[in-house]
Order: sequence, then C-alpha cells, then structure tokens
Amino acid sequence: MAFRHEIEALSGHAARVNLCFQCSKCSAGCPLADKMDLQPAQVMHSIRLGREEAVLNSRAIWLCLGCETCSARCPQQVEPAAAMNAARIIALRRGIKPSVKEIGVYYRGFVDNMRLNGKIHDASVAGITQLLTGQLIESLPLAWKLVVRGRVKPPPLPLGGGRFRRLYNNVLAKEKGH
Amino acid sequence: MRYGYYPGCSLEGISVEYDESMRRLFERLEVTIEDLPDWICCGTLAAPSLSPLLGLATPLWNVARAKREGYDRLIAPCSACLYHFKHAAKRVAENAALRAEVEAVLEMPLAAPPPIIHPLELLAADAFEPRIRGSVQRDLSDLKVVCYYGCHISRPAAVMQFDDPENPQSMDRLLSWVGVQVLDWPGKVDCCGAHFSMIKPGIVVDLCARLFEAALEAGADAIVVACPMCHANLDTRQDEIAAKLSWPLRMPVLYFSQVLGYAMGLPAERLGFQRHIVDPVPLMVAKCQQRMKDEG
Repeated sequence: MAFRHEIEALSGHAARVNLCFQCSKCSAGCPLADKMDLQPAQVMHSIRLGREEAVLNSRAIWLCLGCETCSARCPQQVEPAAAMNAARIIALRRGIKPSVKEIGVYYRGFVDNMRLNGKIHDASVAGITQLLTGQLIESLPLAWKLVVRGRVKPPPLPLGGGRFRRLYNNVLAKEKGH
Repeated sequence: MRYGYYPGCSLEGISVEYDESMRRLFERLEVTIEDLPDWICCGTLAAPSLSPLLGLATPLWNVARAKREGYDRLIAPCSACLYHFKHAAKRVAENAALRAEVEAVLEMPLAAPPPIIHPLELLAADAFEPRIRGSVQRDLSDLKVVCYYGCHISRPAAVMQFDDPENPQSMDRLLSWVGVQVLDWPGKVDCCGAHFSMIKPGIVVDLCARLFEAALEAGADAIVVACPMCHANLDTRQDEIAAKLSWPLRMPVLYFSQVLGYAMGLPAERLGFQRHIVDPVPLMVAKCQQRMKDEG
C-alpha cells in the first residue's frame, strides 16, 4: 500500500491527503509550527510525495498536540491532525523511535497506567514520565505545592483495571487477526 | 431528563476543584446528575497513538455504558474527554462496519447513544437563563474577566457541533447572566499546550505566555476556563511565565463553575478556591461588593 493510502486508511479516511492544495492555512494556525521541523502543510505534501522516512522520523508528528486548529480551518476539509496521528501509529508499528522521546514515553506510560485501574492516576503518569525523561527534580517544587493544596491523591490500589484490560486484550486479539 | 456525569481522571486529581465546584453548582441549580458507574479513562491522545481501534474503543466504552444506564445526556466537563467521546461516536455513527468491530471489542451495543455534552452546553441554554439570573446573591459587577475556551469545546465544528469554533460565546453568556464584566479578547480558542506540561513544559510556558499577554492587554482581572488542562497550565506555571515575560504576573485562573457558584453565594472553600496556586480569594473579595440580596 502506498504511504498516502496507509495514512488515509488509518485515519478512517479523515486525512484526505490528495485534496490538499497547499494553501498552508494549517501551518499558519498551528501553535507549534515554529517548533516543528516539517510544518503541517509540508507534512501533508511529504505524504503525497511518498517521503515516508522524512515524515515518520520528523519531530512534527510527535509535537502535534491534536488541538485541531488545522483541521478546523482547512478550506478543503483535509484533517492534518488525523494524518499526524496516523503517522505516529505507523512509526510505532515499524519500530521507529519517536523523534521527541519524551512524548513517546508519555503515551506508552499513560496506557500502561490505564491497565492498572482503567482510569489513570495523573500524578503517577506525570512522575514516571518525568523520571524516565530526566525532568523529575525540577518538577518537584510544583508537585509539592499541588500536594499541600490537595490536588495530588495517593495512588489507588490497582484493583479496577479488569474492564480496561479485557478491552485492551480484545483489541490486541482483533488486530492480530487482521 | 436524566444526566449522566463523567468526571474524567483530571477531576479526580489535579483538577479536583473543578469537580467540587461543578457538583455544588448543579446542586444549587437543582440539576440532578448521576455518576457514570465503572467509567474508564477516555484514552486521550495516548490510546489512538498506539492503535486506532483502541483509540475508538476506549472512549466508546463509556458511551456504551451511558447508553446502558439509560441516560438522556452524558455530561463531560473535561474538553479533552468530551472531544474523544464525540469524535469516536461520530466515526462509528458514520460507518456501520466499524461500529460492529468496536461493539465486538466492547461486548456492548453502541446504536443510538445519548448525546455527549459539555456542562456549558447544558447551562448556557436559554432555558437556564431565568434560573441562573435568579440565583445571584453576590454582586460581581466590578470583576473583569476573559473567557478562555481552549481547543475542544467547539472545535472542530464538524465533531463538536456546539457554539462558534473561532469565537465561542456560551461562557461569555453565562458569566454575563451573573453580572460579571466579560471582555472580548483574541485568545479564546488558542491552545495552552495541554498535556505537554508533563513532558515539554517550555512549550506550555511559551503558549500560555501569549495568552496572559492578550488577557492583560484586554484589561482582565482573571481568566475563566472550562477545561482542566487549561486551568492546570495557566494556574501552575505563572512564575516561569513571569520570568519569560520579565514582568510580575499573578492572575487568578478560575473555572466558570467557581465563578457562577461564587456569584450564587456559595462559600469560596466549598468551590475549591484554596486549591489554586494563584489564590483567587483576595481578588474575588475585593471585587465582590457583598450586597447580599434579600433572602425572600
């Protein structure tokens, strides 16, 4: 399957890459465009050109916050945010390490935490992500301020994760079947 | 009308005061809500980044559960949860084969689920206007605020189908009903950086600095929000933002539910004001002229 088709299929055909006429409104509105190596319009064009390596190794796909400003403003009803999400899935499936390491660590840790209780314990996810990405020390003063204000709960016992683990295993079984 | 309530993970942790003030406000307005039993996390951007099917099944588990409970509406006060619910519900509503696949994973039916709404959508409806205006007990007419909607309350319009995606008005309306001065400003739907607070705080500081600049320029005393991540980012990072902007910054950031509850005479501690990093109590006390309405 061509790279463009793969992106479109994974986005539930929301990405509609070929309708993009490069007006760059997505890049103009993106709050993170100035920090991306490929701007959203460039990501879309790269997908059409089949520049898989450039897209899958870009920082852009991991810096996308999913704010949907690009998708909301596109005059062609293309959804660049959906294309970015599809590119993240393809990158992980091919074993390409997220080029913004912290974000990959966070997403993985988030789902792992859901497996314990179905819900996440926000302070654990934050703490583990910050520990694994070397940011724990500088985040401690703020964490303490939140603790004294009652905004950090102790982690719950991992007893409530059964319903999510069942769902997760059903998804894995389904995806293996494909 | 039966309203299911899905607090979401943040409202059990860092944003507990949003949950507290939302519940007090519903009590005050005599709106009965029922907590969705056994709810799970919406999966936010993490689940869909790992697998598209997981990204649909995780939020839809809650939607299917709400349907089974027989709710007429499911209320989600976190705009990220709200977006993931509505986005996933739209995807399966438009694609019967996909719906069957997700139903097999959920082991629950998904046809005709209840509409999922933000509390703003419920309360800013015309039907609530007399009840909200009639509940006011504190005069907040000296308080100047800007309403910050962030990303997902109305965007993207095709999914959210509520309010204006570029210039939303629902929160402005609600706060004006209780007498607060609501100012216009350009930051309404800009992004705060959301979960990057935990991973790339520098980006959050950059994005929030722009919001504070715009709010100060508009002449606001406070920013009012309707999303736990917007609140966490704006309330907790003001020291870093002040250093970046090189001017002192201490601007209270309140949930709309806290401002409404306060205007309706609820005590500050029941609305969780004491949990904020930037204490809003001095501002609210100074602006509130304490002219209690006649009890009758």
